[in-house]
Amino acid sequence: MKDINTEIIPSKENDHVIEFAGYTFYTIYNTDSLKTDDIVFYDVIIIQAGDPEFTRHIITRIRGHFNPEHYLKPILLLNQSSLKDPYTNLLDGTLYSLEQIKLILPKLQNILLRIKDLTFSSSLSYEALIIQKVLSYMYSRDMEEMEPFVDFNSGIGYNYPILSVNFSRHEEHQVLNIINIMLEEKLMKKEFLDSVYLCTKCTTGYLSYREVCPKCNSSNATSQDIVHHFPCSYVGPIEDFKNQIDDALNCPKCNKTLRHIGVDYDKPSIINDCLSCGHRFQDFNVKAKCMTCKFDNEVEKLNKSSINALSVTKKGQIMSVSGYVTTSKDLQEIIGTVKMDTFRTMLKYEIERLKQTEGNSNLAVLHLKNSGEAYSTMDNELQRTMLKVLIKAIRKYLPTSSVITFYSSSTILIAINDLPLKIARRLTEEIITLMRELMETNFKNMIVTLEHEVKAVTVKLSSDLQIQQLVKDYI
Amino acid sequence: MDTIGEFISYLQALGPSKFLRVFWFFVIFEFFRYFLLDLVGLILHRVSIWTNRKRWKRAREEFKKENPLVSIIVPGKNEGKHIFKLVKSLSEQTYRNYELIIIDDGSDDNTPIICKSLLKNGLIDQFYRNEERGGKASAANLGLRFTKGKYIIHLDADCSYDNDAVEKIILPFYYDKDIGGVGGNVMVRNYKESLVTTLQAVEYFNSVGIGRIVTSQFGIYRIISGAFGAFRADVMDKIQGWDIGPGLDGDITVKIRKSGYKIHFAPEAVCLTSAPNTFKKLAKQRYRWDKSLIRFRLRKHKDILFPTQGFSIINFISFFENILYNLVLNFMWYFYFIDLIFNFPNLILHVILTNLFLYTSMGYIKLLIFGLFRKRTNAPNYYFIPYIPLMVLYFGYFLRFVRTRAYFMELFFKASYNDPWNPLKTSIHAKEKGL
Repeated sequence: MKDINTEIIPSKENDHVIEFAGYTFYTIYNTDSLKTDDIVFYDVIIIQAGDPEFTRHIITRIRGHFNPEHYLKPILLLNQSSLKDPYTNLLDGTLYSLEQIKLILPKLQNILLRIKDLTFSSSLSYEALIIQKVLSYMYSRDMEEMEPFVDFNSGIGYNYPILSVNFSRHEEHQVLNIINIMLEEKLMKKEFLDSVYLCTKCTTGYLSYREVCPKCNSSNATSQDIVHHFPCSYVGPIEDFKNQIDDALNCPKCNKTLRHIGVDYDKPSIINDCLSCGHRFQDFNVKAKCMTCKFDNEVEKLNKSSINALSVTKKGQIMSVSGYVTTSKDLQEIIGTVKMDTFRTMLKYEIERLKQTEGNSNLAVLHLKNSGEAYSTMDNELQRTMLKVLIKAIRKYLPTSSVITFYSSSTILIAINDLPLKIARRLTEEIITLMRELMETNFKNMIVTLEHEVKAVTVKLSSDLQIQQLVKDYI
Repeated sequence: MDTIGEFISYLQALGPSKFLRVFWFFVIFEFFRYFLLDLVGLILHRVSIWTNRKRWKRAREEFKKENPLVSIIVPGKNEGKHIFKLVKSLSEQTYRNYELIIIDDGSDDNTPIICKSLLKNGLIDQFYRNEERGGKASAANLGLRFTKGKYIIHLDADCSYDNDAVEKIILPFYYDKDIGGVGGNVMVRNYKESLVTTLQAVEYFNSVGIGRIVTSQFGIYRIISGAFGAFRADVMDKIQGWDIGPGLDGDITVKIRKSGYKIHFAPEAVCLTSAPNTFKKLAKQRYRWDKSLIRFRLRKHKDILFPTQGFSIINFISFFENILYNLVLNFMWYFYFIDLIFNFPNLILHVILTNLFLYTSMGYIKLLIFGLFRKRTNAPNYYFIPYIPLMVLYFGYFLRFVRTRAYFMELFFKASYNDPWNPLKTSIHAKEKGL
């Protein structure tokens, strides 16, 4: 049995490492000292750096990683108080001396224990991967709520701590897409906080609102009052009433001096003169120039999005522990497939039919192990396109009576009806070969890991049980 | 039957001298002025067109060659619902070089939204809005201040225009360089809507379609309708735009005349307007219009009637004719009526019937003969045939009573200064200064 240290002691092998209470703490001083892969060997990371920029960089690297062993790793900050939100929300504690580890230890133990509750499964969809990450992180930190922070550096103006860290500033609008999926899937509940307006071209929120000339879009303009002289009905810009001798206003029509606003004159409106094109107008156009891509947006056309505080639902909590996260939205409307519910119903009828006819039908499962890696390189649309192409190709190998569904974003179920098991296996293997070729062609640097299994449908078990037995190894 | 028999006997017994004694009002004023003089004027107008045809041709050529920018200004309050139709009507114009400027005089409906949308879509060139209503003159002056054209056209938003109307109203400026303003020919669009609109259509036929050709021919044309009028921009600069209304269209015409310019009527520059569709609305409109005769002719511009500096005989005649036939004759009609009651008490019914007969007959003759002089009509002449007898009641009685009330109220109470058509803040000053 391993000895448990009751004192904080430096490791003999590595001066970056300290040991305490049976846990190893890895201290990072500068970027060179951090080899991303190494942190999995330690229980807790301590960042000790004077430079906030460096600290942010380290935090982003760890929390932005897609491996749970990285992004869930407890992180402590030592001797740095200048770090501001949102990065502090990605930390598990701040220390002023290493002695304080003792105080924070219960919290760390709790995090590490909760991490052990979690199950992780690879997921086809990139969105699902991020959702799984968010839910796991929140579970491990016993967080029920996630509140966004106003952040100048954020592409959308608000930073959702564990969510935004996965995206570069330019891609941060995807945070909102992912939140929408979580809300649609009822993994989270929302509470409205604010609205943001995003550039129509690049979807970032750093916009400069300017009043511009409606003709030439220049903001180089001057404004002046329109004056109405009641006795003679003369109306014109105030410059018409000014003279070069004194400050009095004289009517150019009747030469009277304007005395008392509201009595003998008023200022019913204003007029603007564009100094760039000379256009004269009353109403400016308001445009929102994107400071990221320089596109000048019509404000009416800006993308409006809600910023919500999020809280995990019961379903979200269960999913975070079970590790099964899928976004049904991704898998719907893919031609050639049916929804999971429909698949279940059809299988039920097939079992009933088999009872009558004594025929042969089979159930096949195809599973892509490293789907997250594949999908992280594609945007939503590309993912959908790829799935469509894949299903179309698979369909060519199958009799028309076969039914395909997505069990999850990384797992496909196929009911191969009215064929002997032997032929069904052969067909499945051919499909696997095809899928491998497709994946390898499209993802040249990726090692494709495809798994499959085919079972004959039995009339003795329910459809749900047969599906469960078949997919249990792949979830 | 006895009454009819007596009436026929009465007519047969009327000799020329007795006829003149009893029906002098009809003969001297109505027949002479509104039939004979109009007929002579129309014939002279035709002759003038024919004899000056080369000059008109040259004017057309010069106009086309120059292709000047025309600024169309449309001031108004709560006119949003009409603006799109107006814009469409103008987009059909044969003359293309114009800028359209809409001025919203403190509308409290969706006018600004409509106009801003039209501006954004390039259907109007300039749009100005005064948050505080300042009155039509101030709105028109605001538009005028920002015009860039050589000629200014003033339109009412609720009117529509023949597709060559802009061309036709500008052309006279090239015919005679002394013309400072041109009035368009306003016709009633909704003449079928109700009896009152039909009667107004007949009235417009006579007083605008014919009357203004004649007064223009004689050089005494005195009112450029606010619904459709064109002005030289330099002349507008000189007279510095419109003064406080109501009646600002008549006022600006006088100002142009006083500045030494001619006023011309363009019968072929046609504008269709929606006339009031009830007698109540009509009475309200005419009450406002008629007060301006006292305010502008007898008060503000009374100097025209006196041999002061800058006296012009033609302006004097224009004013005199206007005052005589509209104001003096209006009151004289009551004397005529009293004269009949006192001197012919037994024949009063016969006289009234004969007058009805005379006015109706003259109405038909005018419809027939004057109709020949009209190139462009908004309705076939025969449509109005059943309504001619009613014109006696409409024009001779209804409008006369409205006019009398208006003159009386303006003469003794200066009622036009209290007219809500103009905001009180400006009317106070106009009243103080006798404008």
